[in-house]
Amino acid sequence: MNRKQQKAFLDFVTYVLLIIGAVIMMGPFLWMVSTSFKLPADQFTRTLIPPTWTLQNFKELFGVDINFVLLFFNSVYISVLITIGTLFTCSMAAFCFAVVKFRGRNTLFVILLITLMIPAQVTLIPNFIVFKYLGVVGTSIPLWLPAFMGGAFGIFLMRQYFLTIPKDFVDAARMDGASLFQIFWKIYMPLAKPALAALAIFTFQGAWNDLLHPLVYMPAVPNTTLTVGLAFFQQQLTTGGKFTVLMAGALISILPLVIVFFFAQKQFIEGISLSGVKR
Amino acid sequence: MKKIVFPVLMVVVVLLAACGGKTAAPASGEPVAITFSAWGAPEELAVWKQIVSDFEAANPGIKVNVEVSDWDAYWDKLKTQLAANTPPDVFAMDAPLFLDYQTRGVLANLQPYIDKNPDMLKDVYPQTLEAYKTADGYYGMPRDFQTIVLFYNKDMFDAAGVAYPTADWTWDDLRAAAKKLTLDTNGDGTIEQYGFVFDQWDMEPGWSQALWSHGGDVISTDHTKTLVGEPASRKGWQTLYDMVFVDKSSPDANTIGQYGLDLFQAKIAAMTPLGHWVVPGYNEAGFAYDAAPMPAGEAGHATSVNSAGFVVADASKNQEAAFEFIKYVMSEKGQTRLTELGFAIPILKSVAESPVFLEQKGSDLNQQVFLDSLAFSHMKPVFKGYDEWAAVVGDGMGAVWRGEAELGKTLDEIVPLADEVLAKNK
Amino acid sequence: MDAGIKPLGKEKITLWLMLAPTLLGLVIGVLGSIVATVALSFTHWDLLTPPTWAGLENYAALFNDAKLWLALTNTIKFSLLYVPAVVIVSMFIAILLNRKIRGVSVFRTIYFLPAVTSAVATALVWNMIYGKDTGILNFIIEKLGGQGVCWLCTDNVLVALIIVNVWGTVGEGMIIFLAGLTAIPKEYYEASQLDGAGGSSQFFRITLPLVTPSIFFMTLIATINAFQAYDYIYMLTRRGHGDSSFPVVVYSIYRNAWNFFNYGGASAQAIELALFVIILMGFYLWLEKRYVVYE
Repeated sequence: MNRKQQKAFLDFVTYVLLIIGAVIMMGPFLWMVSTSFKLPADQFTRTLIPPTWTLQNFKELFGVDINFVLLFFNSVYISVLITIGTLFTCSMAAFCFAVVKFRGRNTLFVILLITLMIPAQVTLIPNFIVFKYLGVVGTSIPLWLPAFMGGAFGIFLMRQYFLTIPKDFVDAARMDGASLFQIFWKIYMPLAKPALAALAIFTFQGAWNDLLHPLVYMPAVPNTTLTVGLAFFQQQLTTGGKFTVLMAGALISILPLVIVFFFAQKQFIEGISLSGVKR
Repeated sequence: MKKIVFPVLMVVVVLLAACGGKTAAPASGEPVAITFSAWGAPEELAVWKQIVSDFEAANPGIKVNVEVSDWDAYWDKLKTQLAANTPPDVFAMDAPLFLDYQTRGVLANLQPYIDKNPDMLKDVYPQTLEAYKTADGYYGMPRDFQTIVLFYNKDMFDAAGVAYPTADWTWDDLRAAAKKLTLDTNGDGTIEQYGFVFDQWDMEPGWSQALWSHGGDVISTDHTKTLVGEPASRKGWQTLYDMVFVDKSSPDANTIGQYGLDLFQAKIAAMTPLGHWVVPGYNEAGFAYDAAPMPAGEAGHATSVNSAGFVVADASKNQEAAFEFIKYVMSEKGQTRLTELGFAIPILKSVAESPVFLEQKGSDLNQQVFLDSLAFSHMKPVFKGYDEWAAVVGDGMGAVWRGEAELGKTLDEIVPLADEVLAKNK
Repeated sequence: MDAGIKPLGKEKITLWLMLAPTLLGLVIGVLGSIVATVALSFTHWDLLTPPTWAGLENYAALFNDAKLWLALTNTIKFSLLYVPAVVIVSMFIAILLNRKIRGVSVFRTIYFLPAVTSAVATALVWNMIYGKDTGILNFIIEKLGGQGVCWLCTDNVLVALIIVNVWGTVGEGMIIFLAGLTAIPKEYYEASQLDGAGGSSQFFRITLPLVTPSIFFMTLIATINAFQAYDYIYMLTRRGHGDSSFPVVVYSIYRNAWNFFNYGGASAQAIELALFVIILMGFYLWLEKRYVVYE
């Protein structure tokens, strides 16, 4: 087999594997969509296409007098703030850890990693008390302020990526008289687009789906985030086994993220192949 | 590194000191604002807002801020707020958990306020007040109560040709009927309809009744000994166990997991012991149902009575205003509104025995049975360490209901562990 | 990795300014999380009354707590299966998606979808799928001639949970590996092709070594996630009122802190959990020095 045939064969195998995987990945979502359009009486029918299509599950969700718009708006602005803060402060710190020599660098990094290992359920109370003394409980500040103070996960991710950038760039820039910050801003950041995109997606997603922190820091429904609002409904529905309505609610909670991701990945991740060429 | 850490620390310390707890005392003449926090379903939020606006109309000097959350979220948030000493002024309390909070000093003693309102408690069902009484007075008040009755699905009974449950039913009658109502409707080898289902963890909707009506008990009156393993109690457990694993008329834990938590509402089971809180949901579900008293065992009829109440935080700066709110909800106007919600039974005899409760819209459910059950109801136990004790028993029995452990042996193991929790909390 | 720029003179200020936000967060974060948790683990605290000194009692209790042992063994069993599974599967998918084929964007979206959605929402679907009598999975198996299984029963629950967790997080790993793979300069592959190297030789000599930074990152993150895994597990195994048929350590921490008025004990458990991960991390760092290739 010559090289072209070899490539065609490998491509074929690749497609087959990817498609099988895609079916597994999408399967549950198809099931979720399907169930949310089924009549409650049909909720356990084992067919993908609903025997009868209905919108009543969605109507039931929106029928309750809850200000979905406010919930949605809160989730959006809080998640955006958190993402911006994280991207900015984590890449700065990661640059220092990856590229700059300073005393205590490794120790500091290890301490940073350790903060990742304590579950949130336990750090909640000490943090709550700190924020209480700052007088900001009842607002969204405790949710996004920490994002502007670096985060271990983001720093770790960016550091790993920065470490793969060859030092030759740096040496060349130094010889041209570039300052530390210029090296960071003009060389490393543009090259780090894929990692930044990845971090942005993870951070936004984590912020959007967070239940614990909005629960304790923000006032109750409706002046809270979408996740808390939905949990409020889900209790009743799970008890009563109203799976069709539950699925409709789950679908609604997922939709914004899917849309954001679809646009983000088009914008940013296409930079992945471009950055490869640039080098 | 030292050069940076020290100034940063100083900034933090100064910030903490500067923003130290300021509490705004309202200027005289301004309305007092209090927070009321409760758990509930989304529908309940609307009704509480209604009650609050009625209250504010009658009490122009007080503004109430209502917050409703689901059960799990409610307790998480409450405990966080209590830990930081910023609790809501008045908040909802589940009777069994009352002592866990009261013994830790976070609740205000309501007795002085009650003494100023001597007629407040005259018309209240005494069983509902029990849980909140301590040696130096009441630290809480009931808001509504629940008795557990046997719900049954009339459509399923009609289809199977079985007579409806009566007030004379025994557990044997129930077992016989359950067997007839367990059906494999399409002949594929799996059961689609069960005769009977009960909560396999929480004692209130099921197993405490089984134990009591067979002469057993849950816990000693001084709360030092666990009694779920006593011989008479074991007879109660055995009845339930046999229904699940011998008659197969009640589903095991793995089967239940597929259907949500309430198989009666999902129309998978024909009978279930539950309280009034399910009524609004059942009315919406659209099937014909009714309720009968819990069946009798050798020791007669037995069921569980429990209340949801409210308490005032000891840290609250507006205890009097908070109490006024409580008083309003316990009054005839407040109780009438709550009853219209349909989730619970009012604590005032005059409201409970009136058409407001007895002729609620939405179904032809026999509401009287809830009140009649008071005659043979035992109070759901209230003691310090309730959650942890209940977890020892509930989790332990979990293995039994999954079919992985033997009933007798499990009870032998659980009882000493449960007693340990009681001893820890003396 | 120890090489780097030495900041000159005034640049030291830039350095500390860039690090300042993180340091501030670290101080509060370190104070807030590690120090507070360690401190509280030496107390008895019920959240409502002031903490009282407990000395080492909470730590002693760790050894007598049968429920905790069960949770610990469950967590370890879960992690041992989950970490290799998710690292290997996501790397494999990233490699497939790194090839020049059409429709890559669509595939990327599909594979990332589960990671973007909240675990609470998708666990509900999986609960329906896994139902032993009502679920679609058993239905499909039976249609293909096999025997349906009780997925969420104790015999099979571990496998069922691994499947759901890998499904739910493989998208994150895929993104990380994709970012790492594209950092490998194309020149290396072109040069090796000129030297006559075939596909598998390219993989083992170029791709694998140069993707080790991502492997290191993903393994550490996956380990931390595995030990703290909670959402999917709880949603699929819960049996009323906070009980779970597959308890894990985070579940035990939650219950002790929030239901049993035992915040001090919960803190001790959290420290124990962290220690496990720290030891593993030390092991990974040692491996990093030996095997991870940075250019």
